[in-house]
Amino acid sequence: MERPSLIGLALIAPALAMIGALFLYPLGFSLVSAFTEESGRLSLTHFQKAYELYSTDILFTLFIVIVSTLLTGLISIAIAGILTLSETPWLITALRNLYRWPLFIPFIVAAQCMRTFLAKNGLMNNSFVALGLMEPLQATSFLDWRGIIVTFVWKQVPFVTLMLAGAMASIDRATIEAGRNLGASRLRVLIEIVLPQVFQTLLVGLVLSFVTMLSVLSVPMMVAGSQPTMLTVDMAFRINSYGDYATANALGVISYLIAGTVAWIYLRHNVKQGAQA
Amino acid sequence: MRKGLVAAGLAALLMTNAASAQTLNVATAGDQNMVDYIKDYLGPLFEKSHPGVKVVAVGTGPGDGGSQKIFEKLDAQKKAGAASDFDVVVIHQKAAGEMVKSQLLRKYRDALPTGKLVTRETADNALGTEVTGYVMPMFHSQTALAYNPDLVKTAPGSYAELRDWVKNNRKQFGYNGIKGGMSGVAFVTGWVSAFGGDAAKLEKGPYDAATKAKWEKALADLKEFNQNVVITPGNAGTLDMLNRGEIAMGPVWVDMFYTWKAEGKLPPNTRLKLISPGMPGQPMYYAVPATTKQDKLAAEFVALATSPEVQAEGIVKRFNWYPGIDAKNLEGKLDKAAWNQLFADITPDSLAANGKPFPIAPYFNDILESYEKKVAN
Amino acid sequence: MSGNVRTSLASAAPASIPLPVNQGLPAPRVRFWAYGSTLFKVLGLGAFAFFLFGPLANLVLWSFAERWYAPFKLPVTYGTRYWEVVFRPTGDAMSSLLTSVGIACLTVLVALAVSIPAGYALARLKLPWRTALMILFLLPQAFPSVAIYINVARVFYSIGLTGTVPGVVLVHAAHGLVYSVWIAAAAFAAVDRDLELAARNIGASPLRTFFTITLPLAAPGIMASAIFVFLESLDEFTGTFFVGVPQVTTLPLLLYNASMGGNYQIASITALILLVPSVLFMLVIERFLKADVLSKVGQ
Repeated sequence: MERPSLIGLALIAPALAMIGALFLYPLGFSLVSAFTEESGRLSLTHFQKAYELYSTDILFTLFIVIVSTLLTGLISIAIAGILTLSETPWLITALRNLYRWPLFIPFIVAAQCMRTFLAKNGLMNNSFVALGLMEPLQATSFLDWRGIIVTFVWKQVPFVTLMLAGAMASIDRATIEAGRNLGASRLRVLIEIVLPQVFQTLLVGLVLSFVTMLSVLSVPMMVAGSQPTMLTVDMAFRINSYGDYATANALGVISYLIAGTVAWIYLRHNVKQGAQA
Repeated sequence: MRKGLVAAGLAALLMTNAASAQTLNVATAGDQNMVDYIKDYLGPLFEKSHPGVKVVAVGTGPGDGGSQKIFEKLDAQKKAGAASDFDVVVIHQKAAGEMVKSQLLRKYRDALPTGKLVTRETADNALGTEVTGYVMPMFHSQTALAYNPDLVKTAPGSYAELRDWVKNNRKQFGYNGIKGGMSGVAFVTGWVSAFGGDAAKLEKGPYDAATKAKWEKALADLKEFNQNVVITPGNAGTLDMLNRGEIAMGPVWVDMFYTWKAEGKLPPNTRLKLISPGMPGQPMYYAVPATTKQDKLAAEFVALATSPEVQAEGIVKRFNWYPGIDAKNLEGKLDKAAWNQLFADITPDSLAANGKPFPIAPYFNDILESYEKKVAN
Repeated sequence: MSGNVRTSLASAAPASIPLPVNQGLPAPRVRFWAYGSTLFKVLGLGAFAFFLFGPLANLVLWSFAERWYAPFKLPVTYGTRYWEVVFRPTGDAMSSLLTSVGIACLTVLVALAVSIPAGYALARLKLPWRTALMILFLLPQAFPSVAIYINVARVFYSIGLTGTVPGVVLVHAAHGLVYSVWIAAAAFAAVDRDLELAARNIGASPLRTFFTITLPLAAPGIMASAIFVFLESLDEFTGTFFVGVPQVTTLPLLLYNASMGGNYQIASITALILLVPSVLFMLVIERFLKADVLSKVGQ
């Protein structure tokens, strides 16, 4: 490897300049307001307030995003696995053409669709009742934390699957055939041979999904009632109702710490992998 | 493909530069119907009387959030020393007070020919901030309870009756908390006025920070009340659940209610009731930014928009809003049927008795924050 | 990991060689199992399609529903009234759409132009604070964007970038860097070093090696990031509002208003219109890649 290179710095400079001018510099103002009192003294009062008012919401947000990320990962592995390992051509074709569609639906529209789909008298329950799978009285509304998770997973699975299926398509088929010839089941081939080869791709997809879900306002706003709710809704509420940027930014710092922690865990893992290779 | 991308991008550049000779930019907070009102009705009307002018309407989103965005944009322009690129703004009360305090608005009403047609208190006072001269009411809106008569035989007439009704009809009443829009906020401030004591002080001031301690009981009751209601996602969320028959009753904005009904999204027999001791309402204001270069044109636009003819035809007849100027000025401009339609569910008497203003800004914030601490947490 | 790269483009379509699985069973049982498994697959696919398209069916239904309320399970009357509303002469839907697509295309160009070198540097060259830099690029996703955009608008006013397409493109591109930098870095990291070394050994210059070996091999991943940047730009509205409005208006602004306000018909139609450029862009990209070989991302 080259030593700390000037070329490297030069290459990354434009991207850094962009982030610097369009996010870091404006963010400076935000951070100052999050960490100072009105008198200008450094303090953590805004974090204290954020914690007092929104501790439940912080936990709620973590819960939603973690569960959604895990489910997204599982379903994406399943779909990408079928695309790679299935021996039924029509199933592959159908699935390949189907799974991608939610990718093109903006979050806000996804939220609107889910709100009318998952409601107590929404299209889903109505279909179940019409098919005789359910009595009308059993119908319940999913417009709470479950609704948020369903929407996130629905929206993010295509994103992760797209990356994962591509990576799986390019791994060496010989390793798969070898495993199959030795009599391993397809599930075992998927878990023991295919997944380890595409694990990094999966992680990048999941980290980006995690961060994206953390930043979406419209889904928690439109799918579920506001008690408890996710941090993005609280930030918007602090700003819109009180013009209180300080507390909103304190919540932003908390949100970024969560995102940063996950990214850091991934990058540590990545470095270890690199060392082993 | 690169070439294709560049070509498409350049096309976009060209399109936006080809603006017409003179453009009047109107930014409006509120729901899509506000934008439609200007795009489809008021804009063309103004363009007809001012050849060569094009009216461009931009929506900034529903609720106080929409007005807040306008405030931020004007504020950023001011701090950068740039002229405002909005010529007319349509805003909520809370933002109007802030903007006047931050000197972002022009004092234009006194010179306006229609300026004297409004005497309502809210034309001079926005949640405790003196805004005389800076704003002109576009229309007045009101919150009320919407209910489905098929499911609710006799609708409750007051907050106290509603509380009992909810006990006997679990999960049949829905409102949107305080983070999802103003109809839920209105319901909560109405609750505090009803059970927190001294409603007049909340509306008129003076502000006393100790007052919020007296709301303990009212808020504790509200928390208990919330156990038996559905928290809906947003202003539209309440209407949405009424649409599918999942709740039987909920607080809504009257204008949104009529729009939804007209768009076929509510059962046609759904009705409104304004309960005592009162629920809040508020006007939307027309205002002119301090640094716009087209202040004359902007004032002419507002004059047209608040003329009795336009208020009668556009505001009342087409959009079912309560007029912004005093109702007596509309006499003779409007047929009886349209007038009666507007007051079919809520009579003028009921509106006068139970249509309240929101509490003044500091109490308003106290109520919201107390709700966050005591009820939602 | 070597060897993968060489097959990455060639093995686009997974070779499906049926394997003799149930050899030991008598014929009728094999048939029974085969039917059972087909039935299972059909049901599974059906359920998958239901959850995938159920919400989208709602979208289509609403776009043609003129009246729909309880207790009716489906719209009471259908019609194209709201399509006419969206496409009415004063509605500006088409011009907003063109602006949106133009901005999205430029955004992709800008984002790729800065993230390809950045990605390469992060993947291949020794940089101090590499982890911190990677985390830095997540910033735009994590903070309350309103607060940031207000300050960006303030800066842009003083340099005359507000109300211009370049201003909006810059804001969108900065937001899209999350995807483009992360995915580009991963794609470059996955390129086999041996191939580059081989090229260098037969006398190719570093620059030539990059353009003939490294970039083509990383292209699938980079193209995938282009799709995400494009979609991100096409959905963005907060930044557009603060930096572009009123001179530059995009379709998501209309969509946002309509959707938040519960104008289901208008919002549904707008969303369906926005599907067209998204799907077209995806198809164009795939045509270039021959198949969804977004290989090597993050390996």
